[in-house]
Amino acid sequence: MAVQELELKPAVPASPLTGFWKMFRENRMAVAGLVMLLVIVFAAVFADVIAPYNPRSYEGIQSGDIYNPPSATHWFGTDDAGKDVFSSFIFGARNSLIVGFFAAFISIFIGGTFGVLAGFYGGRIENFLMRFTDLMLVIPDLPLIVIFVALTKPSLWNIILVIGLLGWTTTARIVRSQTLAVKSRKFVLRARAIGAGNGHIILHHILPLVMPILVVNAILVISLAILSESTLAFLGLSDPLAISWGQMLNFAFGRGAMSVGAWWALVAPGFGIVWVVLALTLLGNGLEQVLNPRLEAHHLMPGRLPVWGGEAESYPATAVRKSRRRKDAAMVLDVRNVSVAYVNGNSQVKAVQNVSFQLYEGELIGLVGESGCGKTTLMLALLRLLPAAGQIVNGQILFDGRDLTSLSEAEISDIRWKDISIVFQGAMNALNPVRTVGDQIKEAIVKHNPAFPQKRLETRVIELLGLVGIPAAYKDHFPHQYSGGMRQRAMIAMALSCNPKILIADEPTTALDVMIQAQILDLLDELRAQLGLAIIFVTHDLGVVAEMCDSVLVMYGGVTAEYADVDTIYNSPRHPYTQELLKAFPDLSRPERKLAFIPGHPPKLDALPPGCRFAPRCSQAFERCVSEMPRLYELKAGHVASCHLAEGKSR
Amino acid sequence: MNSASPVGLERIVPLNRYRYLLNKVGWSVFTILFVLVLNFFLFRVLPGDPARALTKDPRMKEAAREALRVRFGLDKPVINCFDSLTPIKLGDCGVNPLETQFFIYIKNLLQGELGISYKTNRAVSEILVERLWNTILLIGAGQILSIFVGIALGVLAAWKARTAIDYGALFTGLVAWSLPTFWLGIIILFWGSSHGFPIGGKATPGIGAYPFLQQAGDIARHMFLPTLAYTIVFMGEYLLVMRSSLLDVLAEDYILTAKAKGLSAFQILKDHALKNAMLPIVTIIAINLGFTVAGAIQIEAVFSWPGLGGAIFEAVESRDYPVLQGAFLLIAVSVILANLIADLTYTYLDPRVQSE
Repeated sequence: MAVQELELKPAVPASPLTGFWKMFRENRMAVAGLVMLLVIVFAAVFADVIAPYNPRSYEGIQSGDIYNPPSATHWFGTDDAGKDVFSSFIFGARNSLIVGFFAAFISIFIGGTFGVLAGFYGGRIENFLMRFTDLMLVIPDLPLIVIFVALTKPSLWNIILVIGLLGWTTTARIVRSQTLAVKSRKFVLRARAIGAGNGHIILHHILPLVMPILVVNAILVISLAILSESTLAFLGLSDPLAISWGQMLNFAFGRGAMSVGAWWALVAPGFGIVWVVLALTLLGNGLEQVLNPRLEAHHLMPGRLPVWGGEAESYPATAVRKSRRRKDAAMVLDVRNVSVAYVNGNSQVKAVQNVSFQLYEGELIGLVGESGCGKTTLMLALLRLLPAAGQIVNGQILFDGRDLTSLSEAEISDIRWKDISIVFQGAMNALNPVRTVGDQIKEAIVKHNPAFPQKRLETRVIELLGLVGIPAAYKDHFPHQYSGGMRQRAMIAMALSCNPKILIADEPTTALDVMIQAQILDLLDELRAQLGLAIIFVTHDLGVVAEMCDSVLVMYGGVTAEYADVDTIYNSPRHPYTQELLKAFPDLSRPERKLAFIPGHPPKLDALPPGCRFAPRCSQAFERCVSEMPRLYELKAGHVASCHLAEGKSR
Repeated sequence: MNSASPVGLERIVPLNRYRYLLNKVGWSVFTILFVLVLNFFLFRVLPGDPARALTKDPRMKEAAREALRVRFGLDKPVINCFDSLTPIKLGDCGVNPLETQFFIYIKNLLQGELGISYKTNRAVSEILVERLWNTILLIGAGQILSIFVGIALGVLAAWKARTAIDYGALFTGLVAWSLPTFWLGIIILFWGSSHGFPIGGKATPGIGAYPFLQQAGDIARHMFLPTLAYTIVFMGEYLLVMRSSLLDVLAEDYILTAKAKGLSAFQILKDHALKNAMLPIVTIIAINLGFTVAGAIQIEAVFSWPGLGGAIFEAVESRDYPVLQGAFLLIAVSVILANLIADLTYTYLDPRVQSE
């Protein structure tokens, strides 16, 4: 198994930094920030060369030079003392950056040390350090900095020290939680087990993992320090010997630039501060996106509209399965040749390809296959709930005489829950944590039946919860007060609230204990018999399928492996995958039989084999399977399988 | 049944909530005490207090010097065992604690006395109370506006994620966040002064003689520019936080459930996403109170607004330490209390906190 796993993993880049640089270069925010920062650092380092005048010297300045507007000799004009604003601007960059970097260094050192120690040692040390951090966090920074600097001498190093000593609180908190997160990782525990000392573990195992987050935070701290320094200088607390942007603003604002309209003396230094802080902000945000990428995709982003009217016509009418229970049962759902792709830029990953099945009222279809075979994607596609990148690229979904793929968002909204409801896999977070369960059930009822009498709402909710064995008193509780199994059952109750015609249940009983599981299955069976509810049951449990389902759709690698009524599937499966699945399931009537498992994994959808998708794992595969993908062969009315072995036997 | 009975739940929840509340209140009290102590020693440990400098003036007569020392309480030891902290001078540990500078400071505080301003000779408490209201007026208006605008733009950006609207809002937020408050104030003042807005202060001198409505209108005109500056600066962060918080919430499973229930995008935002996404905002507002004060100091300095921040600015200029000390104390205590209120609000907004 381990060998196979290794083979399936994508090639690891030569160095972790290669991947980092590639992503960094692609992040426009980070690159823009870095370039802006480099420009100002360059100006600061070579200030003596770049600045046309010496901002400290009054040589050659005459009274007519005061507050002159920008000109060829003075690009940014002159200030209240007749000095060149551009030269002061360049030298000001130097002091702003010095204060920013050194103060941030102090803050990061203190905050980092506190954070690592608190996170690593825990207990009393953590309690003390974090309480102290909370204390410092709540005391307003700037007044304290102002007092410190006002009481001591406002020299450059005093300012650096004070800003640095007071600016470490956020760093300590962030580093602590990161340390907590990494300290229980396997290799840290392993290092400890072989007897490495605490100091060694912190320096060699914790610090490298904390470093990325520390760098992002440091960039933010630098920008805050630069802002603090300029604010102090503007308030008149700056080193009289060191020109800074804040000091230039203090002089200009205090010495009449406003009243004589000398906007250049006010705009230039402020522009410098904005430039540096924006550069750092962009760089910090960009770096964070690179180090901790997140999808920025959500459920309200407009999805891709289905491409419809495609190949559905070629769908063979004879492949339609008949109802197993009643001859006159109406077909409630007819899925024809549905294909779903995930689109990313120009690349398409086909997650589901040409899947068809029929569902009759009062019937239960089992959808089986290993994880990653496209079952959940298909279910989401039925209700047009695919994530933004997902798109139905082919096929029809016929419900009640309408093709669901051609409906508008408003029309499909009316069908959702009222006609077709869905219970998601792993319902732990499927309920809104800040609303009571009863409230969330009521919402669904009122949405689809606005005329539902207010008085009956409560009793209806109690009735629904009662169906799944939840006591009435729990209706006003929040989801976090429910156990995992209760949440799952509450989801089922909610799914039944509008008396839907079809219920899609995506592994609804996996989180439940056996007793409750049986109870839920009985309930579903009863609803099917009494109300004619049709159910699509996505499951791994072939026992449940055998016991309850009328038909079975076996999916593998996004395609139909085999589809037939339940007796055919269990008694004469044609596809080797179906046969292997059945062998892997315990049969109580034949306890002597050994359980088999299928070696390997289902194929990755972005790296499908050229031939049959199951060929690499199939014990009966031959040359043709590797090169040619089998089409769906019809073995008898309502029984199809996609296997070259079925070709000769097909009609 | 594999979970606690309903009866058990009802018994546990309130108990935990009281303990949580008590914990928070207790912590705030402790923080305030810490600030009181810090505020006292800061001004005793750091050099540069002019009262002390004054008594060291060699030209002064001994009697006058003594009178000054008595007036500022410098004839008493700082606290037991220490006569002075800068430079450190050890003293008698057995003195009556009530006769030390520290306890006199505490006693005066309890009576609402914060000392006498060096500059105006008025009681500091009197100056600050009047200024506190002006600051609350300005911060209140600015906070409400920036929260409202920032959240609205943040919601729009997250909803329309990865569109031009989103990128525009994101860039606006980042730039607004990067603006130095005082500089934005200067630019707005520069623009406003040429468009007929008053260039500073809270009211036109002599307006007190006019009817109330006219007075209110005059104050509103004076408030316009500083509030605008304040709103722009603080809107940026609320926008960024709201956008990121809502993006997280909208990717949650329960939003998919809401969509599967047939709710419209607007209903999902209103009934399922906003409240959850607002929770981090409450925390940010609380954490930001310190920054808010920093913003107020700068804006009040630029617009000569007679608030606490302006008091700090003027006190720094004239080295008026009693006012500086009093203003710091008042600001710190206000921020701590506001923080407590935000914490308690959070408890009511998020049902999960109560039983954790």
